[in-house]
This record gives sequence, C-alpha cells and structure tokens, in this order.
Amino acid sequence: MLVLVVVHGLTAVAAPVLVRWLGRQALYLCSLAPFAALGWGLAQTGRVDQGGAVTETYRWVDRLGLQIDLRLVTISWLMVLLVGGVGGLVLVYSVRYFPAGQDGLGRYAGVFVAFAGAMFGLVVSDNLLLLYVFWELTTVFSYLLIAQDPTRRSSRRSAMQALLVTTLGGLAMLGGFVLLGESAGTYRWSQIAEQPPSGPHLAAALTLVLLGALSKSAIFPFSFWLPAAMAAPTPVSAYLHAAAMVKAGVFLVALLGATVGGDQPWRPLLLTTGLITMLLGGWAALRQHDLKLLLAYGTVSQLGFLVAVFGGGTANSALAGAALLLAHALFKSTLFLVVGIIDVSTGTRDLRELTGLARRTPVLAVVAGLAAASMAGLPPFAGFVGKEAAFAAFLHGTGTADLVVLTVIAIGSTLTVAYTLRFLSGAFADKPGVPEVALREPATDWLVGPAILAVAGLGVGAAAAPLDTVLTPYSDTFPAVGSAYHLAVWHGFSGPLGLSVLVLLAGYALYRVGAPSGARLPFDGAAAYRRVMSGVDRLAVELTGATQRGSLPSYLGVILLVLVAGLGGILIGAVPWPENARAWDTSLQPVVGAGIVVAAVTAVRALRRLTAMILVGVSGYGVAVLFVLHGAPDLALTQFLVETATIAMMVLVLRRLPEKFSERPIRTSRVGRIALGVAVGVVAAAMTYVAVGGREAVPLSDAFPGEAVSFGGGKNIVNVILVDIRAWDTMGEISVLVVAATGVASLIFRRSAALARRRGVPVPADQPVTPGWLSAGAGGQSVILEVVTRLVFHTIVLFSIFLLFSGHNAPGGGFAGGLVAGLALAIRYLAGGPDELTAAAPVDAGWVLGAGLFVSVGTGVLAMFAGAQVLQSAVVDVHLPVLGEVHLVTSIFFDIGVYLVVVGLILDILRSLGAEIDRQGVPAP
Amino acid sequence: MSDLVPLPVVIPLLGAAITLMLTRFPQAQRVVSLTALSAVLGVAIALLAVVSERGPLVVSVGGWPIPLGIVLVADQFAALMLVVSAAVTLCVLVYSIGQGLADGSEDTPISIYHPSYLVLTAGVTTAFLSGDLFNLYVGFEILLVASYVLITVGATEDRVRAGTTYVVVSLLSSLLFLTGVGLVYAAAGTLNMAQLAGRLDALPDGLRLMLNCMLLLAFGIKAAVFPLSAWLPDSYPTALAPVTAVFAGLLTKVGIYAIIRVETLLFPGGPTPDLLLVLALLTMLVGILGAIAQSDVKRMLSFNLVSHIGYLLFGIGLATDRGLSAAIFYAVHHIAILTTLFLVVGLVERFAGSTSLDRLGGLARLSPLLAILFFVPAMNLAGIPPFSGFLGKLGLIQAGVADGGALPLALVAGGLATSLLTLYALARVWNMAFWRPPTIAPEPAGEPRLPWLMVGSTVALVVAGLALTVLAGPLFDVTVNAADDLLDRAPYVDAVRDAGAR
Repeated sequence: MLVLVVVHGLTAVAAPVLVRWLGRQALYLCSLAPFAALGWGLAQTGRVDQGGAVTETYRWVDRLGLQIDLRLVTISWLMVLLVGGVGGLVLVYSVRYFPAGQDGLGRYAGVFVAFAGAMFGLVVSDNLLLLYVFWELTTVFSYLLIAQDPTRRSSRRSAMQALLVTTLGGLAMLGGFVLLGESAGTYRWSQIAEQPPSGPHLAAALTLVLLGALSKSAIFPFSFWLPAAMAAPTPVSAYLHAAAMVKAGVFLVALLGATVGGDQPWRPLLLTTGLITMLLGGWAALRQHDLKLLLAYGTVSQLGFLVAVFGGGTANSALAGAALLLAHALFKSTLFLVVGIIDVSTGTRDLRELTGLARRTPVLAVVAGLAAASMAGLPPFAGFVGKEAAFAAFLHGTGTADLVVLTVIAIGSTLTVAYTLRFLSGAFADKPGVPEVALREPATDWLVGPAILAVAGLGVGAAAAPLDTVLTPYSDTFPAVGSAYHLAVWHGFSGPLGLSVLVLLAGYALYRVGAPSGARLPFDGAAAYRRVMSGVDRLAVELTGATQRGSLPSYLGVILLVLVAGLGGILIGAVPWPENARAWDTSLQPVVGAGIVVAAVTAVRALRRLTAMILVGVSGYGVAVLFVLHGAPDLALTQFLVETATIAMMVLVLRRLPEKFSERPIRTSRVGRIALGVAVGVVAAAMTYVAVGGREAVPLSDAFPGEAVSFGGGKNIVNVILVDIRAWDTMGEISVLVVAATGVASLIFRRSAALARRRGVPVPADQPVTPGWLSAGAGGQSVILEVVTRLVFHTIVLFSIFLLFSGHNAPGGGFAGGLVAGLALAIRYLAGGPDELTAAAPVDAGWVLGAGLFVSVGTGVLAMFAGAQVLQSAVVDVHLPVLGEVHLVTSIFFDIGVYLVVVGLILDILRSLGAEIDRQGVPAP
Repeated sequence: MSDLVPLPVVIPLLGAAITLMLTRFPQAQRVVSLTALSAVLGVAIALLAVVSERGPLVVSVGGWPIPLGIVLVADQFAALMLVVSAAVTLCVLVYSIGQGLADGSEDTPISIYHPSYLVLTAGVTTAFLSGDLFNLYVGFEILLVASYVLITVGATEDRVRAGTTYVVVSLLSSLLFLTGVGLVYAAAGTLNMAQLAGRLDALPDGLRLMLNCMLLLAFGIKAAVFPLSAWLPDSYPTALAPVTAVFAGLLTKVGIYAIIRVETLLFPGGPTPDLLLVLALLTMLVGILGAIAQSDVKRMLSFNLVSHIGYLLFGIGLATDRGLSAAIFYAVHHIAILTTLFLVVGLVERFAGSTSLDRLGGLARLSPLLAILFFVPAMNLAGIPPFSGFLGKLGLIQAGVADGGALPLALVAGGLATSLLTLYALARVWNMAFWRPPTIAPEPAGEPRLPWLMVGSTVALVVAGLALTVLAGPLFDVTVNAADDLLDRAPYVDAVRDAGAR
C-alpha cells in the first residue's frame, strides 16, 4: 500500500514535466496512478470480502506513536475503489475539459494526483495520526485545486475558506485523536477498537473527532464552504466534492462508528446534524439556478443523509450507509462531469439559459438521465438500493427516535427527487421562449468517463446481491438490531417500497409546485464565517496596536515593570530577609556610595549631554573607589582607565550630537518614569541584600589566592583570573571588543570604499575639511603640545608594555597596558590630528584587532596541540644570556593578544569617531 | 575526544581573526569563513555522535581544577543545538556570499560582515557549550555585540533606527542577566552550573524563586516571550535578509536554550513551570494575532516567530520528558524553518523589489521556483503534516494531554488555535503575494535574476527541513534522551564532577 502512495507521489512530482513534454495528453499517463490503486483494490477483493484485512507497517516516529500502519478492511476497500476509479476517470475526462495549452495544467495534474494519493493513504490508514496526516494533506491539496484560476478573487477566497474551515475541524479532530490515543496507549485504530475506549475525556474526544469529520464533509453548520468551493474547475468538484474528499468525514464516521457508535454523544450528534444538513441542503438545491451549485447543495444534502445513516449505528444502517456511499459517489461525480461538459460546450451553467439539450446532445442526456435516476432513487439503480436499505434500517428500528429519523429522511428524499427533476429539466428540457445557446458538440471520448460511472451506478443496483455479500463483513462489525437486512432491488411489497413510491410522488409534486422564491434559510454559515474572520482581523489589529507601540521607552518600561512587579512581589511575599546584616565595612563606603547616587541622579537631570556624560563618568570613578576600599587596586586601576577612555571616546561622539538633550518627556510621564526608576533601584538593591544575606556556602574565590600562585604561576590574582582561570571569558570578551570596534567602523564608514580610510590613508589635500567642534588638529592646534606628545609618546608606550609584562605578579596586565597605549595614541591624535595618528600607528586598525584576537585564541589552541587543555598555561623558567633567570608563564602570550586588541580598539575608534567624523564634517554646535 | 569540545568556539574566533587581517582580500575571506563554519559543522556532528554514545563531555579550560576554572560541557542537548546552529549558519553564510557577490560589496561591507558573522557564531556556540553561568553571560554578550554590528550593516536610516531599539533592549537584558549572575554568585558562591545545581537546592524556596525569576526575565527578553517580545518585530525585519534569517532562526533559541538549562539544571521543581505555561499561552496568541495584523511579509514572519516561542515554552513548562523532548524537537525545527523562510523572503524581495503585501502579486506564475520554495516551508511552519512542524506540535499536544491538568489542556487548545491562525496568516500571504494578479506592472528593467548561490543555499535548507521530517524518528530518539538527561540532572552533574576528579 505504501508503494501505491509513493507511486502517486512520484507521479505528482513528474506531472508538471510530463505536461510540458506531452501537453494535456500527459493526463492519460497521470491517470495510471489512481487506476493502479483501483486495480490493486480489485485484486484485494478476495482478501477482504470475508472480513479479512490486508496490513502493512513501517516505522516512522516511534516516540509519538506515529507509525505508517496501513490496513485495508471492507469499508476502506470500498473507498479505495471509489478514490482510484473515479480519480482515474476524472483525469481522463480532464484531457478534454481543459483547452490545449491551458495555463497551469501541469500544476493541476500534479496536485490532482497528489490529492488522489493522499486520499488513498487516508482510507488505508490504521494509525489515527497517520490518518490525520493524509487528512490534512487532502485539505491542502484541495486548497490548491479550488483556486485553479487564482486570478479570480472569489477563487482565492473560496480556497481559503475551505482551507480554514476544514483545518479548523481537522485540528479539533487531532485533539480528539490524541485524547483517544493517550488514554488507549496506542494510536492504531485496530488496537484501540479491540478494547473500546473509555475514560473521562471520551465524550470530549468523540466530539472533537466529529467536529473534524463534520467539517470535512460539509455538514451543518460547516456546509457553507462546499458551495463556495464550486469556484474549482468542474473535474475537481466531481472528484473532491462528490467522490473523494467530502467522503473522508463520512468514511471516518463509518470506520469509527462500529466501535464508538454507542458512546455519547456520537449518535445524537450525527443524527441531528446529518438530518438538518439533509433538509437544508435539499431545500437550498431547489432554489439554485446554477447547475453546479444545485449539485453542490444536493451533495451537501446527501452528505447529511450519509452521516445520519451511518450515525444510526446499527448493522442495517451501516450496510445502507455503505451502499449509499457507493451510489452517491457514482451518480454525483457523473452529474458534475456532465455539468462540466455542458459548461464548456455552451459557455453557461444557468438552467434558465439552457434549452433543448436533450435533443441536441442525446448521448449526454442519457448519461445524465442514468445518473439522475440513481440520485432520485429509481429502481433498479444503486441509489434506490441504498435508499431502500436506509428506509428499512430505520423503519424496523426500535425507538421513537428512529421514526423521527425516518420521517426526516423521507422528507429529505422528497427534496432530492424534486431537485433531481429540476436539474434534469433545467439542463436538458426544451424551454419555450428561451433562445438556444450555441453548442459545440462534445467529443465522444469526453463522455467515456461519465458514461462508465453512470453505467456503474446501474450495474451496482443490478448486482445488489454480490455487493451485499462483500459489504456484510463491514456491517457485521456494528451491533445488530432487528433482523439482518440484505441489499436487493426487489424485496417484495414492503414498507420501504411504499415509502419510496410516496417519496417519488411527493417529489414530483414538489418539483411542480417549486420552492417559494422568497424563503430564506434561517442560518447562513457563510455570513457567520465572514463575521468570525473579520472579528479575528479586527481583534488582531487592535491587540497588536495595544501591545506593539513602536516606542522604545514603552518597551523598556514594560520590561522594567515586569521586573518591579514580579521580583518585587517575590521579595515582599516569599523571600526570607537576612537578620543580622552589616551595613558597611568602613565608614568611607557609604560616603562614596552616596556620591555615586548623587552623580547618577544629577546625570539624569542634566540638560547638557556633556554634563550628563561626565557625571556618569564620576559615578564610574566612584565605583573604582569602592574597589579600592575593598582592597582591589588592580580592578580599580582598570576601572579608572576604562572610565577615562570612555569619556575621551564619548566626547568624540558628542561632537555629532546637539549640545542639549531634545524635548524632555512631559511632566506626567516623567513622574511615572521617576517612580519606575526608583522602584527598579529599590528592587535591585533589595535583591542584592537578600541574596548576599542568604549565602550559606563558601564562595569559590576563597580558593583563588592559593591556586593562582601554585597552578597559575602568578601573584596578581586579578591578572591570573583574567588570563588563566577565566581566560575563556576573557577570550570571549576580547572578541566582543573586536566586534564592537568593527561595528563602530561599520556605522561610521558605512561603505566598503570608505573602509579604506580605516587604515589611516591621509585625507587628499583637495578635499576641503570643515573644522568642527573639538576637531582635532584642525585650526588652532598647539605646536608645543604636538612636540611634547611626540616626546612622551614612546615613554608612555614603553610604560604600557611594562604594565603588560609585569601584570602577572603586580598591578597591570594586557588590558591596562593596552588602555595606556591607547591613551597615548589618543593624545597624539588630539594634539596633531589624523595625520599625526597615522604617523604614530601606520597600520590598519582592523588588522591590529585581528592580530590580537589571533594571538590570544592561537595561544589557547597551541596548548591543545601540546596535549594540554585549551588555554592551559605552562610555567617556563629559562636562563637567558642578558636578562638572567626569566620566569615565564605562557599565558603572557594570551595577554599580548589582549593588549593588541585594546590598542586596536582605541585606534579604530580614533580613526572612525575621530578622523572620519572630522572628514565628514561636524555640524556646528 | 574532549578536545572536540572547545573547537566550535575556537575555530570561528580564529576565523574571525584571520578575516579581520584579510579585509583587503574578499576572496580569501570567503574561503576562511566557509572553511571555518564547515569545520564547526563537522565538529558538531562528531560531538553529537560521541556524546550520544558516551554521555556528556567535559573540559576544564586551562586545566584548572573543577569548579575553580570554567568548564565546557557538551551533553546531547548542547551537541544537538550545535549541529543545527552550525548547519544553519553555514547555509546562511553561503546565501550571504551569494548576495554579496551579486550586489558587489558596496552596499554591504562584506569585509566587516565576515568577522562579525564568525564572532556571532562563536557567541552562539559559547552559550551552548558553557558550563559556567558567567561564561554563559559572556556567550550572550559575544553574540549580542556581533548582532549589533550585523543588524546595522549598511547603516541605512531604517536599520539604525531599528538597531537602536534592538541594542538598547538587548543591553537592558544583558544588564538584568548580569545582575542575575551577580545575585546567584552572591547567594551560592559559585558559578559552575553543575555545582550550582546542588547549592541552589539548599537555598530557601523564596530566594531560589527570586534568582530563578531574575534569570528568566533576562532570558525571556532574548527569547521574545510576551510581554517582553515587542522589540523583536520592530527590529529584525529591517536588517539584511541573511542577517534577519540567522537572527530569527538562532538568537531567540539561544534564549530558549538558556531557559531550558535554568529550568532543568538550576531550578527544577519550583513554581515557575506554571508561570511559563501561562506566558506560553499569551505568547502564542498575542504573537499570532500580531502576525495576522501585518501587511509586510517580514514583519508577519517576525510575529510568527514570537508566537511559536510559545510552543517552546509550552514544552518547557510541562516539565515532563515528553514535553521537553517535543520542545527541543520543535526548537530544532523552528531554527531551520524560520531561517529558510526569511531567506526565501529575501529572494522574494530581490525578485519583486518588495516584501509588502500591498505591492506583491502573481509570484506563483512569475516564479514557480520561488512559489515552491515558499510554500513548502510555509506549510511546514503552519504545522501541516507530514512536516516537522506538525511532528513537533504533535509531540507537544500529546505531552499536554498526557499531563492532563487544566492548564496544559488549555495550552493544547491554544496551541491548536495558534496553528490554525498561523495557517491563516501564511495562506493570506500566499493568496496575496503568490496568487493575486500583480497589482503593479512588473518593472521592465530586465528579468530579475536570482544568484544561484542564494537559491542553492535556500534549497539546501528547504531540503534540510524535509529531512527533519523523514528522520524524525531517530531525531526524536535524540531529543527524548536529551530531555531525560536534562530532567535527571545527574548525567550532567556527575560528568562535571567526574571530570574534576581526574
């Protein structure tokens, strides 16, 4: 069976290519795939007609219970024949339906065959999840098929509507399947059926499953999508909306009903919705002028009939359902195909415009007549056999409910007879006073498909007895109520026969009277669909407008509010507060702390950018002082240098910005912001207090001093942490620096050509430079300053190198050293301008950054080559001629990389934020 | 074997260093980048194979005794994420090379792109491999700073404005993360995650909850969890197509990765799972309604991204092995599919000159190739079977139903509804951009051509997405094992302890 699915798939993929090569004749080739399914199905008849099953199993996703479990039983055998046979015939029919060179024919062929494959897979799935897979695939393929002409707005809308409605049901069904499968512990239906499911969720599960089945089969209240889907080409309607896809829901009901038919709310739900649908659909069909729409509503009605009959849940009603299922597929697809021929041959489907077709296309009329006879339930056609069986099943039922059902079915069948007559006379009869439309005589081979299907309808009726034999194993899986019924054309004069005669007569009468033109249906699903969709759209827009403000302050505000509300709440409600906390270690700490706070608050209130920035720097220096008070001079040194370098760089940036901050927020929002800011501060402080107070374990860093010397080979713990213990972090952070510098260059230079200037190419003399605020080297530069900086430059650089090398044991290190060297470059630039900077460092800043990163990371990798862990350092004591004993720790190479990166960073920023902004010109302050 | 562990970080960093030194040789840059990322992919696959066989690999960086130094830990979860991210970054690199070659390097300063991109990759791998909370922060920092550069490459006005939102919000999240790390260290006195697992257990419940929520808040911003998600759709869509693609696919998942680690390794068994479930529901629904309200494909996809983060949280919040394994599977799927779709939209933009639904039309006719490239991953994203999106969702639904509680069942319903609305949003795009007749006459300036490298890499990702479907069985075996290990904690903690004992 899997082979057949694969064959369909491959054919579908090949179809567009075949159509390109062979034109529409390629559809003949494509039809081989569904015909293969039909042939295979016929070949299996002997294995299923005694109630046996053909099974295959392949593994797919064990963990989800989703396996490719395939199983052919009687009811699926029946569906296989329909899906394969009708599919193949419709494809053959399509060759004539579409004009040669039709646009999108390749896509049509591919999707059609793919649909047939999915449909085949659906009916042979034993695994509920696999069934859902194929189920959704048929939905998607039908979406593509309905909009065969996507340029029409109505096609697109109908396609979308069918997609959403059936997917809605499908997803509900999936939920139901999972509820069933999880409680049963398996998703194989044949196993679930062995131990009928139970449990608290069973009713919910069945309701959900039925939601899927009913929406797929266009049962009330989901019926509206099917008439709209008539935007599809007629062959598509003949297949999808008569024989195959809409039968999927019926099939599911038929398959599951044998096991769960007695559980609530299976039977009442199916009977109610099915019968409502039968009446509404039949009534609506009587009011249509478009032949295709008439058939569509007729289909809706018949689907309701089928669902109700299967919902009956007895052996007899199941047998009737199966017979009706077969009959309906045969006559309805024939009629659709006939309408397609009329449509293409005359250019209209309006029964008010068609006249005299019986005379002019007698063969077509005969084919249509055969099918219509079956639809109306005339003996000895299949439709009659099925309907008789249905009447009998409910007539011999037990309760009053059965009688109600019987009555409604009879009324529905009356409607069916009436709209059948409306169809036949509308399409073929002579209508006095109606001008004859032009008719292109349909080619004979075009009629082959519909003719075969129509004759099959007759044949099935005639062969009711063998059909009964084949189908009985299926109906026997249902509980038997009353004596077993057998399919036959002639049962003698009996109740059902009388009912049939009554129905035919009443139907004819109704046809003569005609439906009152003003009568409207009480419930219009399409309008409800539109209301829901526009409601969803409106909700979407309004909700998104409310949550997606497009304003950065509001996003930050939300985040901080979450912080205050969430963590503040935890702090108040759940956290144990420490009891004996020390306020401070030295009395200087609160003083410095207060200073930091004051600086920060003043910074927020400052109107001038420069003021604000310097105040931020002051609070940063305050932090450095706190480090000193904690006994961490090395950290403090780094903090001081970073703050200084930051201020220097920020000043370069500030040149491009207005002197003062732009409009301040208005007072009310300002109060809110202040309150939020204070609240965040309070929460953060409280969290720190609580966290520190809650510590019970010994901190890791207590072991650092000893380990730093013994394993890291250095006395400066901070440096050993940076370049050894946590060198992996440092490696990451220098790559951050590298990228940050690159990013600044990217923003300032923007284009590749401009990037050349990152290397320090002198500005061409003919390019005028507008000296701006703080523009270095332009205008009033001081010669003395320039000379002095040249003199001290090398000293400072030398000092930075000293810091680098001494860092392992004394304050310093690559980071601090690099900053010092960078500041030296900054002084050169500020004193002498870009040219002076180029003279001091005639290298590409990007190259320095890259080299630094390379050296650092390379050091780590070399350790791996040496057989150690990444970034592992080694202590080497060597005796050098001049220097004497040298105590060398290999992590120094890592530190050299850090040094280079920091230098490169500052050089890059001086080139971009400094020289390049000078070049681009600075707006006057 | 443990030598493999640092390589996914070290290789791209070396690559970045080399490409920085080769800015004047674009050809050489391309070779270096491609080599580096291919090597990372190879290493990642090898790691996954080894780790699946033998359990977590642990490396103590610098040979320091554990827990003194930093440890790198590659368990199945990390290795799987590495493989996926490496594959995706490689494909996107090829795509961006194709784009760079086609556009010339004037608009997109490729010399900056390569090193930044490689550092971004290193940041992602650092985060995945880190066994140290502060180092995890460093990983985030690396990838964030690199992403700041990438999101503004080209520095158009839109990008700088969007970049500002992105950078400031990300800085806030980093600040919160760092605060969280500080608080954790203050309370527990260690940063080694395996050691933290034991020490945090000993803390009072309230304090644990506080630390837990602080970290969740920081990661929630990165992972774009509602109500912390609004920044994402405002910033991602403006960047270069490959940049958006890799951000959308990967970066939020790093946040999710961190959330999973926090929830399973550091703070299991608290009240946060229920909180996550509620947030998951909100994220799903608010996100997908946002997607429906959009008229630009990129923005629509960005909202979709946010919405489907809800699925991941759903699985995490269930805190069962089935939920977690489905979430991991879904994360893998989502990385691949969202990246693919953004790349496809990049092709659309290139082909039709726009991504606005008001301007697009008739693409199915104009370019059947684009149509297929969009349709397959779009259906995959919408959770249409048999694609991986369906399988992931199925796993989540099963896990929710198996849990049986009211909140999980509400999430099952919400997840199904989201799935339908996702389909609606995507079908709308399909109807308008691909089916509707073109509203604007196609520009006469010659047939727009799509560079084969861009198309090829996109096709590769589409195929990779399909492979996730076909190979879902074995993949679920991996994610279930990974989830079991995560929930058990012992494999991770023991591996780190044993490595220290050596």
